Amino acid sequence: MAVAQGAPPRGALLSFKIPRGRGASLGLYVVRRILWLVPVLFFVITITFVLMHLAPGSPWDREGKQLSAAVVRNLNAKYGLSDPFFVQYGRYLINVVHFDFGLSFQYEDQPVSALILRSWPPTAVIGLLAFLMIVIFGIGIGVVAALRQNTWVDYAVVGFSTIGASTPAFVLGIILIIIFSVSLYRISGGNFSLPTGGFALDQHLIMPVVTLATLPIAFIARLTRASTLEVLRQDYIRTAWAKGLRERLVVTKHVLKNSLIPVVSALGPTFAVLITGSVIVESVFAIPGIGRAFVIAVSSRDYPMILATTILFSVIVALANLIVDLLYTVIDPRVRLG
Amino acid sequence: MDDTFARFRWLRVPALLTVVGLLVAACGTSAPTTSNLAKDQTLRVNIVTEPNSLDPGQEQYSYEGSIGGMISEPLLHVKPDLSDAAPATAASYSVSSDGLTWTFKIRSNAKWNDGKPVTGADFVYAWQRILDPRLAAPYADPFFDGTVAGAADYANLDPTKDAAKIPDFINGLGLSAPDASTFVVKLQAASPFFKWIASLWMSAPVRKDVVDQYGSDKWATAPTSLITNGPYKVSEMVSKDHITLVPNTNYWGNQPTVTKIINYEISDDNQAYAKYLNGELDEVNVPLANTQLVKNDPVLSKQIKFVPQLTLFWMDFNTRKAPFNNKDARLAFSKAVDRNALTTNVLQGRSAPADFFIPKGMNGYRPDLGATQAFDPAAAKTLLTNAVGDPSKITIDFLIRNTTANKQIGEFISAQLQTNLGVKVNQVVIDSKTVTTRLRAHQYSLYVGGWGADYPDDQDWFDIWMTGSGNVFGGYSNPAYDALVKQADTTSDATKRQGLYDQAQKILIDDAGGGFLYQRNYMFLVKPYVQGLTTTASDFENVGDLFYTRVSIAQH
Repeated sequence: MAVAQGAPPRGALLSFKIPRGRGASLGLYVVRRILWLVPVLFFVITITFVLMHLAPGSPWDREGKQLSAAVVRNLNAKYGLSDPFFVQYGRYLINVVHFDFGLSFQYEDQPVSALILRSWPPTAVIGLLAFLMIVIFGIGIGVVAALRQNTWVDYAVVGFSTIGASTPAFVLGIILIIIFSVSLYRISGGNFSLPTGGFALDQHLIMPVVTLATLPIAFIARLTRASTLEVLRQDYIRTAWAKGLRERLVVTKHVLKNSLIPVVSALGPTFAVLITGSVIVESVFAIPGIGRAFVIAVSSRDYPMILATTILFSVIVALANLIVDLLYTVIDPRVRLG
Repeated sequence: MDDTFARFRWLRVPALLTVVGLLVAACGTSAPTTSNLAKDQTLRVNIVTEPNSLDPGQEQYSYEGSIGGMISEPLLHVKPDLSDAAPATAASYSVSSDGLTWTFKIRSNAKWNDGKPVTGADFVYAWQRILDPRLAAPYADPFFDGTVAGAADYANLDPTKDAAKIPDFINGLGLSAPDASTFVVKLQAASPFFKWIASLWMSAPVRKDVVDQYGSDKWATAPTSLITNGPYKVSEMVSKDHITLVPNTNYWGNQPTVTKIINYEISDDNQAYAKYLNGELDEVNVPLANTQLVKNDPVLSKQIKFVPQLTLFWMDFNTRKAPFNNKDARLAFSKAVDRNALTTNVLQGRSAPADFFIPKGMNGYRPDLGATQAFDPAAAKTLLTNAVGDPSKITIDFLIRNTTANKQIGEFISAQLQTNLGVKVNQVVIDSKTVTTRLRAHQYSLYVGGWGADYPDDQDWFDIWMTGSGNVFGGYSNPAYDALVKQADTTSDATKRQGLYDQAQKILIDDAGGGFLYQRNYMFLVKPYVQGLTTTASDFENVGDLFYTRVSIAQH
C-alpha cells in the first residue's frame, strides 16, 4: 500500500480505520477518554504543585524543637528544594513520565510508590465491601420503600435514611465500638466481642464497612425511592400493569431499569470517594489506609506523597466516571457513546 | 502543643536487675519459671504514630525514641532517677583533666543482633555519618554545636557547593578508635554535659557493612537488615499498624523477661482507650475527655499512673514589638494568668502549675524563683498601667495552633488577660505549619510555646534562651544571662555550675523572657498484671518505656 505523503488529516491517529458497529465505536470512545487523562493529569499536577508550594510552611518546620539552619539547608539540598520553582516542576514532570514519583520527605527516603502500594489495599478492600453494601441495600430498600409507599416499610426506610444521612461517621463509628466492642466484651466477660479496630480480612472488617456504608446507603436509598416513585407514575408502567403483567416482571423489567439512571450517576462519584479512603473511618478504626496517609502527608508537607496520591485519586475518579458513562449504555439503550 | 512535641531522649539502663531478672539469672535459663508469671510474656502498647525512620541517624521524635531506645544502645544511658548517665555499651569512660578528651571502653561482650562484636569503629562510623551534611541528619546539632572537635564547620558546609571539602571535614573530626574496644572523642571545649550526648539514642553505633550492603536509606526499613545492638530487635513492621520487638539473643546483658513487645500505631485516642478496656492494650494514655470518668471509676482509678514529664510551657512574648519590648509589661502579663485555674479546669488536673522555668525532676528545679511571676491580678494591672499606660488601648495578636487542646488553653489565657488586665486579645487560630511560619517571621505578639528535655541536664534548657537561639521565637536577649549560661555550660564543678544556672534562671524569670505556665504530666492507665514498671520524668511515648527491660507480665 502506498504511503500518503504530507501531514495526515486531522484526527487521523484515532480514526485511521473507521470502525463499524456499536462495539467498535464504543472501544474507540474508551480509548479517547483514556487518552484525555493525559492533559487532565497534567493540569492536576500543575495545580497541585503550585498550591503545595504556595501553602505556608516547609516540610522541615516543627512544632517543638526546631531544626537548626544548617540541617534545613542540608535537607533542602538533599531533596532538591533549593532549586528554583520551575526547575523542581520540570524535573517532577519528567520523573512522572518515567513513573518515578520520588522519595517521601516524611518517611526518610522511602519511595512514595511503595508507601502508596502499602496503604492502598486496606482502603480498597473496605471501600469495595462498603460499595457492595451500598448497591445491594441502598437500591434494595429504596425500591421496596417506593413500592410500599406510605406504609410502615416506607416510613422506616425514610426514617433510617434521615438518621443515617445526618450521623457523622466518627459518631457512628464510636457508637458501634461502644456497643459491639466494649459493652459486648464486658457483658460476655471477654468471650465475645467485635475487635475495636485494626485491619484483617475477618470480623475486623464489619464495623468499618458498616460505618463507611451507612451514609451512602441512606443517600442512595432516598434517591432510588424518589426516582422509582417517578417512574411508577409513567404511562408505560401503567400500560404494563394494564397488560396484566406480574409485579415482579413490572418491577425488574420496567421500573428498576428506568429508575436506576440517576442512581448510577450518583454511584460513580460514591465509588471514587470510597476507594480513595475516608480519613475519619481509618482513624476511628485504626486502619493503615491511604486516606490517613494522605492527610498526614498534607499536614507534614510531604510534597512527593501529596502529588502521587493526588494523581492516583484523579485517575480513579476519571475511571469511575468512564465506567458510569459505559453503564448508561447498558441500562438505557437510547444512550449512544462515541 | 502537647502531643507532637518533638524531642529526643536517652536510653534506659539494663545494668540493674529486677527481682525477676535475678531469679532468671540464678536459674541460668531464659525461660522464666517463677510461678506468678504469665505464660505469654507479651507487652502491648501504643506509640500513636508510625516512626518516620528507625535509623539512629534519622530519628528525631519521641515515638521513634520509644522503639529506637530499645533496639539501639549508645555508649551510656540514663539512670532511673535521672541523676547520671550509667555505662551501657561502654563498660566505663574517662575524661582527661582538661575535660577535652573522652575515652570510652566498649564491653568485650557487646554484640550486634547478628552476633558480631560492637567495636569502636562502629561508633566512629555512626558519628561521622550523622555529621555528614549529605545525610542531612535532623538531630546533628548536639554533635556539632560546641561539642565534637572539628565539627563546628558543619554549619558552613554546603552539601552541593562544598561537596569536595566533605571528605576532609569528615576525616578531620575528633573521633577515633585506637583499638577495637576503644572510642575516643575530642571536644571543642570542656563540656560536663557531654555524657548526656553519649547517651542520646541517636548516638548509638551503626554498622558500615550493613549500610553499604542495603543502602543508607534502606537498611533501617526491614527487620532482616535492621542490625542493631540493643536488648531488643525488630521482628515485624506493618506500616501504620504495628512494630513488634523480640529480645536480641546476642545482647551482652541479661535477657529481658518480656519476650514480645507489640507497639501499635493508633492515632485515635478513643480507639486506643477502647482497646485498653477490651484487654488489647496493656497501657494507654487517657483521652482528655475521659479524665473525670476514669478518676471516678472504681476499677480504672486504681490503674492510673500519673507521671510528671520534663516538658514545660510558657507564654512566648515577641520582645521586638510593643508592649512586649517592655520588661514590666511582660511581667504584668505573666502575673495576670491564674495557673491553678488553668491546670485544674482546662487541663483537668493533668498538668502542674509552674511560674518558673526548670521543671520538677531536674537538678535546677527551683519553684521559689517563680515568686516574681506569681499570679496577682491587681499588681499586674498596676504594673502594666505604669509601664505602658492605659491597658484598654493595647491589642495583642495571640497565635494559636488549631487543635482542641490548644484552642481551650488559648481561650482561657485570652479571657484571663482581658479580665485581669483589660487588654484586647485577638486570637489567631490557624493550622500548625502556618503558625510555625509566622513565628519564624516574628509575625505575632503572643504564643504558647514550650520545651521538652533532650536530656535531663540544665544546659539543654538554659541554652534555648541565649541570644539568637532558634528554639525560642520571642527574641529574648540579656547579655548577663548569656554570660552566666556560657560559663555554667563549661564548668565542671557541679555545685558551682548549679549556682550559675540558678542565677541565670532568676534573671530569666524576673525579665519575664517567658510567662511560665505549666509542666506536663502523663496520665496513663496500666493493667495491674504489668509488673516492675519503672517510670521516669523522661519517658518517651509511654510511661515506663525507658525501662521496659525490667517489666514482666503476671498471670491474669
